[in-house]
Amino acid sequence: MSTTKDRSIAERLTWMNMLVCGVALVLACAAFIGYDLATFRAARVRNLSTQAQIIGANSITALLFDDPESATKTLSALKADPQILSAAVYTTEGKPFAAYSRPGSGPLPAPPSIPRGQSEKYWIGKNEILLARSIEFDGAPSGVVFIRSDVEALNKRLELYVGIGSIVLLFSLLAALVVSAVFRKSVAQPIVRLAETAKAVSLNKTYSLRVPQVHGHGEVSVLIDSFNDMMEQIERGEESLKEAHDKLELRVIDRTAELVAAKQELEAYSESVLRAKEDIERASRFKDQFLSTMSHELRTPLNAVLGFSELLGDARYGPLTERQVRYVNHIHTSGQHLLRLINDILDLSKIEAGRLQLSIERVSVESCFAEVCGSLQPLVDKNAHKLIRDVPSGLVVHADATRFKQMLMNLLGNAIKFTPKGGKIKLAARQAGEMVRIEVRDSGPGIPEDERNRIFEAFHRLRQSDKAAEGTGLGLAITRRLVELHGGQLDVESQLGSGSCFYFTLPGACAPEAGKTLGEPGVRGSGALARVLVVEDDPSAAYLLESQLSSAGYEVAICDQPERAVDLAIEFQPAVMTLDVVMLPVNGWDVLSRLKSDPRTANIGVVMVTVMDQRNTGALLGADEYIVKPVDKSVLLSAVERCLSRRNHADARNSILVVEDDAATRELIADLLAQNEYSVTSAEDGEQARRQVQASMPDLVLLDLILPGISGFALIAEWRKNPSTANLPIFVLTNKDLTSEEKDYLRANTRALISKHGEWRDDLVREVERVQRTAPQLTGAQ
Amino acid sequence: MGCRLRRLCIALSASALFFSVCSQAQPQQVNAYQVQAAYLYNFGKFVTWPDGSPASQSETFTICVLDGDPFGDTLHSTLVGESVGGKPVVVKRIPKAEDAGACHILFIGSAQGRDLGKILIAVDHISVLTVSDMPGFSKRGGMIQFVLEGNRIRFEINLESAQKSHLVFASELLKVAEAVIKPAPPGD
Repeated sequence: MSTTKDRSIAERLTWMNMLVCGVALVLACAAFIGYDLATFRAARVRNLSTQAQIIGANSITALLFDDPESATKTLSALKADPQILSAAVYTTEGKPFAAYSRPGSGPLPAPPSIPRGQSEKYWIGKNEILLARSIEFDGAPSGVVFIRSDVEALNKRLELYVGIGSIVLLFSLLAALVVSAVFRKSVAQPIVRLAETAKAVSLNKTYSLRVPQVHGHGEVSVLIDSFNDMMEQIERGEESLKEAHDKLELRVIDRTAELVAAKQELEAYSESVLRAKEDIERASRFKDQFLSTMSHELRTPLNAVLGFSELLGDARYGPLTERQVRYVNHIHTSGQHLLRLINDILDLSKIEAGRLQLSIERVSVESCFAEVCGSLQPLVDKNAHKLIRDVPSGLVVHADATRFKQMLMNLLGNAIKFTPKGGKIKLAARQAGEMVRIEVRDSGPGIPEDERNRIFEAFHRLRQSDKAAEGTGLGLAITRRLVELHGGQLDVESQLGSGSCFYFTLPGACAPEAGKTLGEPGVRGSGALARVLVVEDDPSAAYLLESQLSSAGYEVAICDQPERAVDLAIEFQPAVMTLDVVMLPVNGWDVLSRLKSDPRTANIGVVMVTVMDQRNTGALLGADEYIVKPVDKSVLLSAVERCLSRRNHADARNSILVVEDDAATRELIADLLAQNEYSVTSAEDGEQARRQVQASMPDLVLLDLILPGISGFALIAEWRKNPSTANLPIFVLTNKDLTSEEKDYLRANTRALISKHGEWRDDLVREVERVQRTAPQLTGAQ
Repeated sequence: MGCRLRRLCIALSASALFFSVCSQAQPQQVNAYQVQAAYLYNFGKFVTWPDGSPASQSETFTICVLDGDPFGDTLHSTLVGESVGGKPVVVKRIPKAEDAGACHILFIGSAQGRDLGKILIAVDHISVLTVSDMPGFSKRGGMIQFVLEGNRIRFEINLESAQKSHLVFASELLKVAEAVIKPAPPGD
């Protein structure tokens, strides 16, 4: 490797030296020879010219007086110049006049012509120089002298020069070689050593290598010095790098240890966080449990207080003195207030904890309005308020029906509370884009501006309010949270002295298809009144009846084909039917007799609605009521109600099993049902209930979910599995806050779901009556 | 230019006499007299006349021919328009030798052979170049005598006669002369 490098650098130096030397010398020689030859030639030409002039001058007379011998003699003088090969004198006409020729020089060439205006001309050929000169005498040309000279001397001179040049070149190159050898030592050698060292360094990474220093201050010396410096710096850098690397390693070890420690700490921390989370979850479970217990344990005795105070107030068990009546009313009112307070607190804490579950469904605004207004009607009447409802039929919202009603109840309750006697209250709803806007407008005193936001805070009451004691102060707070949970907004507009308007939005839904409620099992327990089948072949009359009955809360179906009336009655199982007489192809009498003769339809109350006044025929065929058209709404409704109550009396012998662990509640329910002439048996727990059902199958079971031992859910599941009890009607009556899954399960497996949170006693009686009426097969089964 | 050409022709015809032609323009017309006429003219260029002589003071170069002219018209036709030393050539015929006072050259025809002595004496004191083609002319005291040598016309010079008349001959002229009679050394 190194020898190649050596050779290459040294060789290059040598070649460079010799090339420069040789080229310089050759150029110098060429220039010198060229110049010398040119000079020499010019001198020769001048010499020839002179000779020609002499000959010419000496030949003038010879020419003038025709004496060639004389001219020849003159020419022969050229013998003295050995280079002149031949010479001649020509006449002006170009004829040879006299000639001279050196022996062996060959024939004389033809005389060249001299251009006019010139006296002399020469030609330099390869081997000779030719020169012609005109001879002039007395201003006139008299002839021409022509001389031919060889250039041997010139060539010889050239040869000599080339010889000398070659020798000089040879010696110069030798000298250049010697010089290169010297330089190789002083220049190439250090560079080669430098290269070898650099190679070794890059191969072995030994930065301690150094190139031996050379003497002198040339660039090579500087290069080597710089290289050595650089090596030293690299060596130092390497050392410090190694040091840094070592330090870094130490630091990495330290850091790793720290990280491990930190990781352990973190793990410990995360463990503690996990523990804390478990604690929190446990605490949360405790809280749930507490709430659930609260809800159950507080309400149960309250329900007893309320129920019995109501029964007492009815003076059913002996007359009360005026004072006793007042006290019982106080008990009842305070109990109700306490219940509301408990419900509200529980609701609010559930909402705050984010644990309130909504069971969102399509809810008819109109029916909710009706229900809420119905509940509050006594209050409205008491205050002589004018309550206006303004809702387009078919308006539907996506909401939790119970919570929706709770909102309405709160707002409407407030409106009633703050509106002076005889005031106006308006409940309105309308579609607003994708939302439904619902507003409750009162004609109360209004809310001052600075209070408008604070009224939504919990436990806030209007300062000026003189009826403060009546509310819990939680209604608006809960309502606002509920609205927000539904994805809507609750707000208030108010003008002092002229009233307030609370309004909120809920997500709207498409209106349900008309008539879809027919045969729909999903509406059970929603609070609708009994089913009524209208048999009427005149559409306008049928529509009138339907609207009158619907507005009273009945579930109405229309049959416009009298021949199918019996089949529909069997299928639809209405509590009451209205029947026209004049119909085609079968008249009402035929339908009536067939209904009464079929055991499946014999129990259905029949109201004849006809233009013909043939009450006797109707009574004879078994019609329960007889109305002559045109139909007055109140007459129709009271007839239907009479039918229903007659049926209830007929069903008095139906037995109901009440499963309730709280003795007071059990007695209260039993008392309520007995008042409505049902026969009631009761069970304290699941085990008793199971045994009683096995012993004697009741027509209906009223079931509390929270029971000692076997829970209500377990009982339902058990009964539904057993074919003999699979169709046993079950009412769930509970304090429990149900999840939407539990609600779904219960709706699928029971006839009604009644919460003990609100005014459940009326609901209960109504539902029991409805089930009894719409399930005549049960009575048949007994 | 025509003048120059003719003069060239004169010189050339002198050398080409008898065996050659001067040019296509003058074939076979070149004769001995023409050559002699050219020679007369050329002599003028190599001879120097003494200062103060009538010839040197003359504004023309006068060539005189003594009666009995052999040239006829040739002389005139050959030399007309030429000049020697800046002086135009004039050809003049004179009846007797005494009239040659203003002449540069006096040509004496060979017919005057009997009177030659008298003629030469007559011009003895005049610086005039005497030329003739008669035999023995130079020996008898004439200065230049044409001699026929083969086909060529040559001439002999009597230098002694010339020096007597104070005429100076250029050495080149002497070089091409057939013969030169030189004067006796001063010691003779």
